[in-house]
Amino acid sequence: MAVRPRTVGRVNTGDGVLRLGSRSFGAGEFALMAIINRTPDSFFDRGATYATDAALAAIDKAAAEGADLVDIGGVKAGYGEPVSEAEELRRTVDFVAAIRARHPDLVISVDTYRSGVARQVAEAGADLINDTWAGADPDLVNAAAEAGTGLVCSHVGGLSPRTDPHRMAYDDVVADVIRTTTALADRALAAGVRRDGILIDPTHDFGKNTLQSLELTRRLDELAATGWPVLVAVSNKDFIGETLELPPGQRGNGTLAALTISAWLGARVFRVHDVPAARQALDFIAVLRGTAQPAGTRRSLV
Amino acid sequence: MPVVAAAVCPHPPLLVPEVASGAASELDDLRAACLAAAESLATATHIVVIGAGSGTYDAAAGGSFGAYGAPSVRVGSGPPVLPLSLAIGGWLLEQTKAARLPRTYRAVATDTAPDVCVRLGQEIAGSNDRIGLLVMGDGSARRSEHSPVHLHPRAEIFDTTVANALQHRDLDVLNALDADLAGELQAAGRAPWQVLAGALEGTSLSGDLTYEAAPYGVGYFVASFT
Repeated sequence: MAVRPRTVGRVNTGDGVLRLGSRSFGAGEFALMAIINRTPDSFFDRGATYATDAALAAIDKAAAEGADLVDIGGVKAGYGEPVSEAEELRRTVDFVAAIRARHPDLVISVDTYRSGVARQVAEAGADLINDTWAGADPDLVNAAAEAGTGLVCSHVGGLSPRTDPHRMAYDDVVADVIRTTTALADRALAAGVRRDGILIDPTHDFGKNTLQSLELTRRLDELAATGWPVLVAVSNKDFIGETLELPPGQRGNGTLAALTISAWLGARVFRVHDVPAARQALDFIAVLRGTAQPAGTRRSLV
Repeated sequence: MPVVAAAVCPHPPLLVPEVASGAASELDDLRAACLAAAESLATATHIVVIGAGSGTYDAAAGGSFGAYGAPSVRVGSGPPVLPLSLAIGGWLLEQTKAARLPRTYRAVATDTAPDVCVRLGQEIAGSNDRIGLLVMGDGSARRSEHSPVHLHPRAEIFDTTVANALQHRDLDVLNALDADLAGELQAAGRAPWQVLAGALEGTSLSGDLTYEAAPYGVGYFVASFT
């Protein structure tokens, strides 16, 4: 077996604290991001939180259940009906402002690849721009820099209109992810995005087959070794479904397994659908790793 | 001697059981059809494998499925240089009696002009060897709502046209396949099929389409020319 480089990209030399909105997350501290879709066609919830009232209720519930961040998406990630910038703004800007008013300390992330949307949601109170399309809009880093928000740098395997998006092949998928995401992180830093607000996301499933997403999960420590905080979004994804042969509604247990391994190997932010389940798992892992105390240890001690 | 036998096969990585893992049995029919078609090339004295990509390689050239998640599956003995289409071709051949024959791999870029493809086929047929031609090519990757690339309304008719041309050895139809349309439809087989058309010109081989389906929204065809 070939010897793999432990780190491929440049190592982040900050103090390791992730600062988003009014919150700081030190190294070893897990941050939980709840997914709130403002789309009528999400693969998982099929539009359950498309309406504003339902979405705000979902935010309140997620915050009460232990979410540190909420991630608002106005455009379905996969193929679907085109959503104009005006429609994306309509779905996100006022909603972000409403969340900010109700939850002053909740970190608000917006899943968008458009710089125009990033600027306006930041104005409305968003703290983090989750750029799932890996810098497809080159002005997005400037929007994050000007607004002082954080930025998620993702990996989609070079998907663009001129490349063949099926049968993605990588000599080493982990090395490719590290190269791509750390280059985006460096570019964001150079554009003026705060060093302590930049995350990298291997982006499981996007531009990857299941074996490649499993490899990323197995070797997540190599991403963590770059020093950039790693966000993982494994919740209910197809690589879990294909591994266990389960449809989207039945992938919760597999999600927790993937999330647990990711946390153990150094991931710091976890984007999930099921907040209470993930919170319990992460709280448990924090104790196992020695970064938190058990709630109370009476057994066999009295 | 010209081309004495030819076979057409698709090249999804999923054809390799180690890549497909638990889904391998779903393509049992396709794999069996491909192996039978490749087996029919054993009457030749030299095998030429054509597929989408770039480069010309000899029989020892290596191929690996590591880039798709199955590093344990290898073809040939050299470092892995074969593009996917040719690696699948080599993987099929190595399971047949044609494995022992001298072999050349010839890749053609997906945007190669039709007349260039046809001339390459004629050139291959001009060899002094008894050539067995293995032509690797997929139909459109836009056949259904669940295709890797979203449904294109012309994908199915394009693939049906190709299937009929293979079955009836209609070289004029293969020659006339439009490169731009094939590109838009993400049909990786267009250029290799046109090499086949050029290679079959001087022969009396007749076609037999043994598999035609798009189980995952990508068109797969298997045909034998004997």
